[in-house]
Amino acid sequence: MAHLLKDKEAYERLNYLYQAAHCVLSQNPENVELARFYCFTQRTVARRLVLKQDPSVKRTLCKKCSSLLIPGVTATTRQRRKNSKIRFTVMRCLSCGQSKTLLNNPDYCLWVDRPEAQLEQQKQPGDKPQINTTQQLLSRCVV
Amino acid sequence: MAACCGKPTKKELKKHIPTKTSFVSPLTPTWRPLPQQDMHFILKTLKDKLISVGLEKKEVKVFRPWKKKKDQKPPAAPSEPAVPQVQDSPQNGWTVVAARRQLAIGINEVTKALERNELKLVLVCKSVKPKHMTSHLIALSVMRGVPACQVPRLNQNLSEPLGLKSVLALGFRRCASTDEEVFTDTVDAIKPRVPSLDVAWLPGAAPTVTPEDPAHMEVEVEEEEEAGEKRGQKRKLESESKEITESSSSCSLQPLKVKKVVTNPARKAKKKVKT
Repeated sequence: MAHLLKDKEAYERLNYLYQAAHCVLSQNPENVELARFYCFTQRTVARRLVLKQDPSVKRTLCKKCSSLLIPGVTATTRQRRKNSKIRFTVMRCLSCGQSKTLLNNPDYCLWVDRPEAQLEQQKQPGDKPQINTTQQLLSRCVV
Repeated sequence: MAACCGKPTKKELKKHIPTKTSFVSPLTPTWRPLPQQDMHFILKTLKDKLISVGLEKKEVKVFRPWKKKKDQKPPAAPSEPAVPQVQDSPQNGWTVVAARRQLAIGINEVTKALERNELKLVLVCKSVKPKHMTSHLIALSVMRGVPACQVPRLNQNLSEPLGLKSVLALGFRRCASTDEEVFTDTVDAIKPRVPSLDVAWLPGAAPTVTPEDPAHMEVEVEEEEEAGEKRGQKRKLESESKEITESSSSCSLQPLKVKKVVTNPARKAKKKVKT
């Protein structure tokens, strides 16, 4: 795939909106509306052009009202646990009350962070790590 | 096999590897690395302090029979309420209550105290998995102007002297007026060793910076008011524009970060099986 297709401008726009929302909140912590508008626009742009966003971005946005979640300013973060020793990190958006739960599994690694998902390491075809069915299919195609 | 079909099939397979570009956040806050010496020093001072103060949470493990409650309940019931009542006051709970009040132990307590701006120093364990458990503390402590650092083996070293299962975050509260506890000297010893945190979109990371800026601003405002109205207004405008330029320069635009990700083949396989 070509490096950064036609949507490069769109990605730059996403970048700008995201950082602008942060700057707005840093200068005026009470102006949550403007930051929310920026993030809402960012989400709309990504939705219209079907652009993928990293979990590091999505975890800081509220899914309901799409306001920027900053712990202490617009959101509260707590550790909770269910009785069966399962622990969560819960982020609550202060404006709409929507809570975002993240499971505290020490062994869990996001697909995006895994080495298998990185494009640079996959120069040769058929070198995909051990996920059985598709690798076998590919190797059969090569042969 | 390899020679004739090599090139076209390789190209096809390259195209067959579907990749997706995803927009990555350029603003994720990260901890600063702590040099080894400082780490050892901090751990050592903390441990010595805790042992010398003798702060520990003691829990008496009451034997509770799991099976056959009916049989063992009548003999166990009268003994159980008697035993913990006796043992509650001296042994169960924290040994030094005053010292416990000066500390904020545990992630939730540290977060709440940070939100209310009660802390002087925050220490976080670095060997935390998953990282999102403590990552919110970075931005919080930067905003409140509190020095914070990640110490790798905080958890292992502090859980034993304190008698707790796991200590992932520790905070020292601000003393009201009288410094009863001796934690203040530990705080002063550790503070200079803590590296200053930097968050890209927040101005004034280190705690020394933030008190200086409002002090400067106040001084300027006072001078303007004394000088006179017109001059004061001009100076106010100038100072305001200066402030704006300063703050906007600190919020410089980070370059675009994009990640190329291979789609998860496990996902596709599952879909195929379903349909």
